[in-house]
Amino acid sequence: MLAEHVERADDPKAALAAIRVVGADAFAPYLLAEAVFHPDDAAAVSQSFAVFPPAVSTPDPPPSGPAEPWIVAWRDWATAALLARLTGTQGDGTLAPRPEGAPTDHTDWQRWSVRMSQLSPLALPALDGPVHAAARAAPLALARGATRAVLRRDFPTATRIVRWLALLHAEGVRLPLDPVPLVEHLRLHGGGPRLALDAAIARRLLGLEAP
Amino acid sequence: MTASVTQTAHQVSAQALAWLHAQRECGVLPADTTADLGDPDSVYKPLGETALAASLVLRESAAGSVELSQAHELMEFCWRQFGEGDMLYERLLRYSMMTDPLETYAPFARCGFRHEPLERLLAHTSALRSVRAVEVVPNRRLAVANAARVVGLDQGGHAYDWPTLARATWLGATPEPWLVDWMTGYCVTHTVFHLTDWGANPTGLPDDLTEYVTTWLPVWIDIWAEIEQWDLVAELMIVGCCLKEPYCAPADWERLARAQHPDGLVPRDGDPVPDDPAQRFNDHQHTAVVAAIAGTLAVSRTLGGAADPR
Repeated sequence: MLAEHVERADDPKAALAAIRVVGADAFAPYLLAEAVFHPDDAAAVSQSFAVFPPAVSTPDPPPSGPAEPWIVAWRDWATAALLARLTGTQGDGTLAPRPEGAPTDHTDWQRWSVRMSQLSPLALPALDGPVHAAARAAPLALARGATRAVLRRDFPTATRIVRWLALLHAEGVRLPLDPVPLVEHLRLHGGGPRLALDAAIARRLLGLEAP
Repeated sequence: MTASVTQTAHQVSAQALAWLHAQRECGVLPADTTADLGDPDSVYKPLGETALAASLVLRESAAGSVELSQAHELMEFCWRQFGEGDMLYERLLRYSMMTDPLETYAPFARCGFRHEPLERLLAHTSALRSVRAVEVVPNRRLAVANAARVVGLDQGGHAYDWPTLARATWLGATPEPWLVDWMTGYCVTHTVFHLTDWGANPTGLPDDLTEYVTTWLPVWIDIWAEIEQWDLVAELMIVGCCLKEPYCAPADWERLARAQHPDGLVPRDGDPVPDDPAQRFNDHQHTAVVAAIAGTLAVSRTLGGAADPR
């Protein structure tokens, strides 16, 4: 599927860039649906990292380091870790190292939940780490953040946060709200391909769509 | 909950009360007013709201001597405006189905301003099936029930079915918190006000609704503060004071204090405030009432008061 995407593209470099932009979510069809992962798919992802390499070193976590590159580093790690998992490569971080730190202080749930939305590509079932532990420790802050984002009509952010809620739900964590109608609401009210992808992943995690 | 909340809340409520006291002549009934009240929302309803705020300042007794004195003077001022109860009595005589004479009377009754003929008429009227079945939205039905409770009519065969009344509201359904809108926000606040009798009885809010409100109140305060809906924000802050474990965030109080004008006016929203005194009073009297109540209850709860379990 990923290899096909690159092969059929008029501009293969742009196709590789798209794989880097979609990041770990490019593996969602293999993790949550019945797509079969082929060595050519792995090669396409590896090539995308070769053409658009990640930062050589991982930045310090905020607040001591800038937030944006740190978030990007976490996303790159997620992609690299899933590739390693699907190809059976030992260890993770072959293509990108794992950054230090995770957003653990959710006292300021407004900012914290937005940060978690930026890390939502990590909200996939085959990944685990300190960011996931932070999500598990704060279902209330996630639910408040999602609710706040919907009420502010920030549907893309809401859908990203809902992915974490859906993941926790799939793990059996008790949530302060029912994520099912919320995902449906966002799918029907929100727009754009990114939101559609986040909503589709959340629906799969919630078992609303058969694999 | 810290000393800083107590201090800021006291400052906001004292200034709001002082503003209501100083501006009270802006809210007098026209000389030719009769019990018919062509426009009950223009002066009559605000007078009742001012009396409500003053009655809660007196009930809590958490304010300073200046504020207690102003509150008492406001009660007397409003009571005189209502002909010391005669006007409410005449209005109920003429309009048996109307609930506002009972609701307006309740704060006075709470503070010992009684009108015997009105009370006899209220006891008769409020017990009628016809009056109880009047078609109003569920949180309004709670307002009537709480007023009856304050006046002493919620007893015996005429006691209100509080659990059923609570369940009938929007809040009673513990609905999706992400779909609340501005008007529904006011339905929530009033449901909590009346079930808890303005924080006197936090256990009046059923446990599951207490948990629901505790979970979502910070979100609702956040989103309406962002768009400077100060009137609703301050009502939600009252709700926080009505909970078994009160929610009084220092940041919320500092933000409301910043919105308050030096003369004590609390703007209802982020729109420009006019200079004309009459217009200022018309537009912002309700928010001053709300801020005075919110601050009074926050001071009381942060000092460990209220929650006088029935």
